[in-house]
Formats: sequence, structure tokens, C-alpha cells
Amino acid sequence: MSDEIPTGDEAQLRDPAIARVVAYARVPAQVRADFADRVLADIRAGALAVVPVRRSGERRRVSRLALAAGIAALMLGSAWAGRMTAPRSAEPAALAPAAPTIADGSVVRFVIAAPGASTVALVGDFNAWNVGATPLQATEREGVWTVTVPLPAGRHEYAFVVDGVRWLSDPNAPRAGTADFGPANSVVTVTGQT
Amino acid sequence: MSDDGAIVRQVLAGDTDAYRVLIGRHQDRFARFAFRMLGNREDAEEALQDAFVRAYRALGQCADPDRFDNWCFRILANRCRTRGARRGRYEATFVPDEPALQSAADPASTNGTGPEEAEEVYRALGLLDEASRESFLLKYVEELTYEEMAEITGDSVSALKMRVKRACDRLRQLLEAKHV
Repeated sequence: MSDEIPTGDEAQLRDPAIARVVAYARVPAQVRADFADRVLADIRAGALAVVPVRRSGERRRVSRLALAAGIAALMLGSAWAGRMTAPRSAEPAALAPAAPTIADGSVVRFVIAAPGASTVALVGDFNAWNVGATPLQATEREGVWTVTVPLPAGRHEYAFVVDGVRWLSDPNAPRAGTADFGPANSVVTVTGQT
Repeated sequence: MSDDGAIVRQVLAGDTDAYRVLIGRHQDRFARFAFRMLGNREDAEEALQDAFVRAYRALGQCADPDRFDNWCFRILANRCRTRGARRGRYEATFVPDEPALQSAADPASTNGTGPEEAEEVYRALGLLDEASRESFLLKYVEELTYEEMAEITGDSVSALKMRVKRACDRLRQLLEAKHV
């Protein structure tokens, strides 16, 4: 029986049954009209969703930590370019946590959504602005990076460096005044342990 | 299609809205694949949306931005596999959810008789195992070469050829049994 069945790819298409399936399977399919809007909304919502200021389980486990101080939910590239012009609507600052003053801890968790990044580093006065000193680790969530660092009490300026070249400030943190060039540094204030 | 790379670079430079261009260019082709793989609009659109979002987040890892479509297609194929595996079975409720069915009657190259035949054909497609259905669609609907299929699926060319052959045999069996 198998001898009667065409086996080459072109021969398969000459078989009426296969040709029929192919013809129907090639019928165009269309998505809903607002599909692209929904994708873009999802992209932006995903960036916002990385702001885990006080997730219930985590809060207990790290109750002595200052949670999520420098939380930045940036879309890669929008921070630098956006800040030099007008802020993009995608900026997630509206749902961001309050300014990162650390009330009762000395360990600060930094989170940033940097889709497409190969490396992300935290730089600040606490590590002499050394790009190699405090790399962030990629989390299970695609494009989301995090690092937890001990900080002494006081006011600290910091920024993120993506792929070793792109400096980003944290849109959810206060700025350290006008920068001479590029984005201004962000500020986190640690009040010290009680 | 050739300037997908330019759009990809624009998005990576911070212009998120430019991603709409890439979505608009490829959504219909991708949607067709997802619909045929998953069998209903809801699952297909979710898989497609998921794929585009994941592609956006990993855009910096797209080694050849000019071939964004193939790269994104690979993500979509993975999403369809994941969703299909989670759901278990291809649902036979494909046809009522498929608006294109109404315009699918009597494709020029067939002796189609209308929605009833379309339902029969789609149901046969749905009865294939997932890997065979995927291979069949990539080969005969997307009209990819086996090398391109291997790139998208991660499977070997010989395995893909075998699956296409198996899919054709099974489809023939299902459809001819119905008519004989």
C-alpha cells in the first residue's frame, strides 16, 4: 500500500487529500483589531509588575532588610533617550513605590527591568562607581535583574549600567540634582538600624 | 521584511512604540500558525501575545535583527508547544471559534463543499500529534525549508522529514477513511 502513497514533498501536494488540508490550513487568520495594543500594554504592565515592594512572604523572610529601595522598572533604552527629551508614556513611575528611604535596615534590594540586557551593574558612591563591583543577577522573570547590597546609614547616590555602557537613573527614586551630563544619579537614604 | 532590522534597532534604542510595526508585519502569519496549532482563537491569541512580549523582552538577544520574523517564530512555536502540552488535547471545538471558516469554503485548489468540509479537515489536523502537526504546518503552510524548520524547532532535519511524512500518512488515512 505504501507504494501507492507519494513520498516526496511535492508529490504529497499532488495528493488530493493533502492538497485539501493544505488549502484549508493556508486560509488566513486574523487577530483582533486591538491586538498590538494589548501586546504593548502587556509589555508595559510586565515592567510594572516587577515592583515587588512588599510581597507578603518576602517581607517576613527579610523583615530586617529594607525592601526594594531602588526599584527601577525601566524599559531598556527609554530611560536615557526619554530623559533627554520627553518622558515616554511607558515610564512606569506612576505605579512605582515611594521614594526609597530605608527606615529600619541596612540591606537594600535593587531591581530593574532591562529587557534585552546582557549585563546590568549597580554603581554608586558605596562602590566607588565601579562598574565591575556589583553586578545584578538575572531573575526568573525575563529581563528583570536584581541585587541585594548592604549599605551603611546615610545618603547614597547610585545608577544602573546596562551592557557596560548605558547609564540609567532610577525613575522611582529621587534625583541627586542636575547632572553635568547624562542622567542624574538616583538617591537612596538609609536611616540605619534601630 | 528586509528592514525588520532597522525597526529592531529602533526598539532597542528606546522606541517601544516602534514594536507595533513588527507586530503588524507578522501578526497575521503568526496567528494563522498559532490558530492551526492550538485550534481555537483564544489560546492562539494568548500564545501569540505571549510570544511577542517575550520576543520584546529578549530583543537584545536577537542575533540577526534582519531575521526577526524567524527568530520570533521560534519563540511562538515554543509557546504553542508549551500551551498545547499544558492543555493536553487539541480541542475539537476548533471550527465554531474560527471566523475564517466562513470564508474557507471551497478553496480554489480543492473540491471543497463548504464549512462541513472545512470542519472535517481541521478536525483531522487536530487529530495529529502535536509534533507532526507542527512539522506539517511549517512545511506546507509556512513553506519553509527543512533547514529553516530545524532552526525554528531545534529538531533534526531527518526527524522533521519523518514527521512530515507521518503527518501526511495520518491525514490521508483520516480523510480517505471518511470518504471511502
